[in-house]
Amino acid sequence: MVKVGFYQGCCFQGQDAHMFETMKKTFKAIDVELVLLEETTCCGGNTIDEENRKLSYAINARNIALAEAKGLDMLISCNTCYMVIAKAKRAMDKNKKLREEINNLLKEEGLEYRGTNRIYHLLDFFRDVVGYDRIRKAVKRPLKGWKVAAYYGCHVLYPRETAVDNSDNPSSLQEILKALGAKVIDEYENKDACCGYHSFYTDKNMTLKKLDKILGSVREAGADIIATPCPLCFKSFDIYQTNMENPPGVPSSFLPELMAYAFGISKEESGLSHHLIKVEKD
Amino acid sequence: METATLKVFRFDPDKDKVPYYQDYEVPVEGTLLNALLYIKDNLDPTLSFRAFCRSEVCGSCAMKVNGKTKLACKTPMKELVETWKGKPLRIDPLDHLKVIRDLVVDIDKPIEKMKTLIPWLVPDPRVVPTDPMHESIIYPEELEAYKDQIHCMLCFSCYSACEAVEDYERYRGPFAFSRAYRFQVDRRDIETAKEKRIRYAISGGLWSCVQCQKCLYVCPKGVKPAEDIQNLRGQAVRKGFTDKPGAKKLKHYVDWIYATGQINRLYLPEEVYGNREAREKLTKAYEEMGVEVWEVPKPTKGLMKFRDIYLEILSKEEKALDLDFSHVRKIDKMVSDIFKADICTIVDRVHEEGKGGKLIEKLKGLFGGDNG
Repeated sequence: MVKVGFYQGCCFQGQDAHMFETMKKTFKAIDVELVLLEETTCCGGNTIDEENRKLSYAINARNIALAEAKGLDMLISCNTCYMVIAKAKRAMDKNKKLREEINNLLKEEGLEYRGTNRIYHLLDFFRDVVGYDRIRKAVKRPLKGWKVAAYYGCHVLYPRETAVDNSDNPSSLQEILKALGAKVIDEYENKDACCGYHSFYTDKNMTLKKLDKILGSVREAGADIIATPCPLCFKSFDIYQTNMENPPGVPSSFLPELMAYAFGISKEESGLSHHLIKVEKD
Repeated sequence: METATLKVFRFDPDKDKVPYYQDYEVPVEGTLLNALLYIKDNLDPTLSFRAFCRSEVCGSCAMKVNGKTKLACKTPMKELVETWKGKPLRIDPLDHLKVIRDLVVDIDKPIEKMKTLIPWLVPDPRVVPTDPMHESIIYPEELEAYKDQIHCMLCFSCYSACEAVEDYERYRGPFAFSRAYRFQVDRRDIETAKEKRIRYAISGGLWSCVQCQKCLYVCPKGVKPAEDIQNLRGQAVRKGFTDKPGAKKLKHYVDWIYATGQINRLYLPEEVYGNREAREKLTKAYEEMGVEVWEVPKPTKGLMKFRDIYLEILSKEEKALDLDFSHVRKIDKMVSDIFKADICTIVDRVHEEGKGGKLIEKLKGLFGGDNG
């Protein structure tokens, strides 16, 4: 049994607590124990960086230090949390002065950033720690006949320094979907477009235009559903889609939900039956 | 010798009605620019592309390979073949620019857009001597603030890859914001110009950037436009431009994360768009499902110490007053009203396993929505 510290951010608590339940079930099936890093805070959502970058580094150095104190590597599902925290780690590792300054503040809480643990996103964790084989072996209900559009989201591929896969031609998501038995649709026109989640509260119109493009090309490519490892992209597809003037009604899924379903967990328990845009496929 | 197929975009507006692709077999050695020069020298002298310095300085050979923006002289052929696993390499001109011929694009439009952001120094006479015999000295530590931005060579890679340019005609472009920001942190530049740049940046789409980070990825010189855009947004709010939704979102993040360690997505629509209905609708929907909605996030364990760290950093950066303490007090009151105890007690009690009793039960209740 592999143990890893799970960073929840804002996406796996409160209204979205069920998403953490899904995660736990999914990971149990592939022999991974998620240890919830309860004392962590919001990563700042790449917005605190607008206020002050050092504040973003400090918040996330603290988040990382909390996992280090437990002797655990850190697993992050949200693309944005992953990127923001990975950027902070890079800054702390590279800049000795910054590290000293922030560690001085963390002392009050008895914490220290040492740079000793690894930070994983779902995709590299599945690829490097779990392995596609173990995923394949855990499948009890192959997604036969499911045509799934692979959607990565931006913050796992860009910038280069924190990317978890080849940014130009990534493959981990397709490999995972193939292991689940799905037919992967990875060539559709707007597969690399931004999901628009982050502009919903800065320029809503931009979000709706992005959704229109992505969902339109997913439909055109003949996919039944979109799969993304990022809970924010998923929310943009499932929730913000309903804000469109004419929602195309393209269903989407958060990758661990699809995995849970393929691992034999019921549609209800996997979370797939709770979406605003109904997942009709069985 | 190992070879690869380049499928090159061809278009001559004088002759061709529509663009087409032409295949060329090129050696896999050196850079993509070497391959294009090989075509020009050995296979087809009619192929047009821009290139000059061959050493990542002039910025004229940016183009797209299988949809991804690359500077041809910086991109090894070997790397391309490995990345695309032997697939043909489709070479296209940059996006968002008019094609003049083949891979040559018209760059006038983004240059004009950039100029609207005053990307030059407007000297402050109190700092810059007017007497030409005296120098205006820049110290190394000052240069630190814009040492990356000055490397922009106008290759338009970021303009091509930009998600905001794609869907917003007026959007000035990542490089333009970086070039503007470079003067926002220059001591020699006069305050009135800095103010104007912010004003023009806002009307040029400052809040429309989606923060996808593609500009950081494609920039051959290590400029980080998306981060400069964040810096400009911070400056805009500090200079009093607080009416845009993005500015209100920033305030929400700064205040709520300090107060509770989390943002509050239930209140975001209201605090950004004045949409109270979104919260009420969601709360009602949950109540109908038999779930009680708590309007504040679960306060993070160690919250009071977290607050100290937060405030200490802001103070050091002379930004402590960006926190709206009356808003924070309101949030504190919401927390204590719901949990019938003051915030310090809650943070302590909530995490005592078993002892919190009902309080823990309550905190397991739901909070936070996600609809504008």
